[in-house]
Amino acid sequence: MDWGKVQFFLGEVWRNFTRNVIMQVTAIGTVTVMILLLGTFLFAQQTLGRVGGDQIAKIEISVFMTEKASPADAQRLMARLKSDPRVKSVTYIPKAEGLRQVRERLKGQLDTSLLTSNPLPDALRIRVVDPNQVHAVAAAVGKMPNVANVEYQRDFVERLLRLYDVMSKVGFAFIVLLVVTAAIIISNTIRLTVYARRREIAIMQLVGASSIYIRLPFICEGFLDGLIGAVLAVLLLGIGRWQLWPKFVSSLPFFPLRDAGSDFGTFALQLLGVGAIVGIVASWVSVGRYLRT
Amino acid sequence: MISLREVGLVYPNGTRALDGIDLEIAKGSFVFLVGHSGTGKSSLLRLLYREQKPSSGMVVVDGVEIGKLKRSKIPELRRKVGVVFQDFKLLLDKTVWENVAFALQVTGAPTRDVMRQVPRVLDLVGMAHKSRVFPNELSGGEQQRAAIARALVNNPKILLCDEPTGNLDPVNANEVVDLLHRINLKGTTVVVATHNALVVDRMRRRVIRLEHGKVLADDERGLYHGIESDIRPDAEDLALAARVRSGLG
Repeated sequence: MDWGKVQFFLGEVWRNFTRNVIMQVTAIGTVTVMILLLGTFLFAQQTLGRVGGDQIAKIEISVFMTEKASPADAQRLMARLKSDPRVKSVTYIPKAEGLRQVRERLKGQLDTSLLTSNPLPDALRIRVVDPNQVHAVAAAVGKMPNVANVEYQRDFVERLLRLYDVMSKVGFAFIVLLVVTAAIIISNTIRLTVYARRREIAIMQLVGASSIYIRLPFICEGFLDGLIGAVLAVLLLGIGRWQLWPKFVSSLPFFPLRDAGSDFGTFALQLLGVGAIVGIVASWVSVGRYLRT
Repeated sequence: MISLREVGLVYPNGTRALDGIDLEIAKGSFVFLVGHSGTGKSSLLRLLYREQKPSSGMVVVDGVEIGKLKRSKIPELRRKVGVVFQDFKLLLDKTVWENVAFALQVTGAPTRDVMRQVPRVLDLVGMAHKSRVFPNELSGGEQQRAAIARALVNNPKILLCDEPTGNLDPVNANEVVDLLHRINLKGTTVVVATHNALVVDRMRRRVIRLEHGKVLADDERGLYHGIESDIRPDAEDLALAARVRSGLG
């Protein structure tokens, strides 16, 4: 290892980096905002995706028996459903059990002692093998005798998935816009440094420095802008993840949010990578354009 | 070492800088390029270190054909060709030592070579004692000597000088030309474009006179005013020049 070379190179990078501090701060700040929004968006998308996935896996058809149907009718219906290959499981929920479950679910949120009588009919809960068959199974069950009505969370799940889809597209466009903005600001910063150092560059070219040697300090400058910006954003995201998110989750009791992403480390590394790559590409393009003319 | 065949150079704005230049410059020679401003001296030098491509004809420098040289091969050529300018082009925020070392460092030379070569060339140009001084604290002659050291640190085969004495007083100009002469004696081919009649006449080396982009005269042991003192030589001038030359020669 030639330490003299390393020292010279780092000196050049440092000289570039400190030449225009305000511009450097602007570039870093833009990257921070970009990564911050990117991280927030990906986190939201991941959480929503997980919620949607959970819901699809949990999707159940609730079959409510008519008032006059006897438990024996329910048992017969259950046996018939179990022979259907599309059905994974069937659970019988007598009206008393149904009420107990409702009370359990609403515990602490609603005063269930207000319910003096049991308004629930006997019910069956069906889980299907494939979520896509929910509609067909539900329709078939609806036509069977002693069945009052059939309910399932199809609408909710579909709406969730649609929301997820729209959010992905809008979010993606937004992210692209942010990345382009950050890239433009970084490349502008690099261009200012290149301009400030045009005498050095001219001399480097004159004495036969290879173009990679001329470019490298500027590429490093862009890399540093991207990386430092991303580090700041990741720190902010970390604060949000551990300070704000738990409060947000506890404020939304009905929404089945699960704690998403215990793998914050991987996520952070990916974001740092994005910042660094944007910085490198932007400075590469910027320096390349200058050196070609 | 340097060979030009039917070389023409037309700038994008239509200016014809060089027109049908034929030249051979041998290895180890010392050549002055003279002529009025705008006659193509600098353009010719720029061809030799591939700052410009010829519009027509063939330029060969140390076996490399300039017109066909790939962009990625330019650095290789530039390491064989040192260039010195009228305005020195030193970096003002670096010391003399750093300016000279810079030329090696940016070509990726190992530190070992930097530590060996920089003192050697600073010694050669007589600037070893000023190595820690910044360019603004030096006289013009010293700055030019530092610039020459930088041009030489890569051990180039050719040294091109574009008006090296243009900003210097006669004493410093003579010192710089003496230095160029010493460098030439060590085997480096030296080409000097100049206006300075005094140094040309003192050196009595090959003088190539350019006029309107053409070679007007090429004398093996020439004077600045050479054969003719006017743009259009007449018989009387030619006779006078011949007498002067025979008298001095």
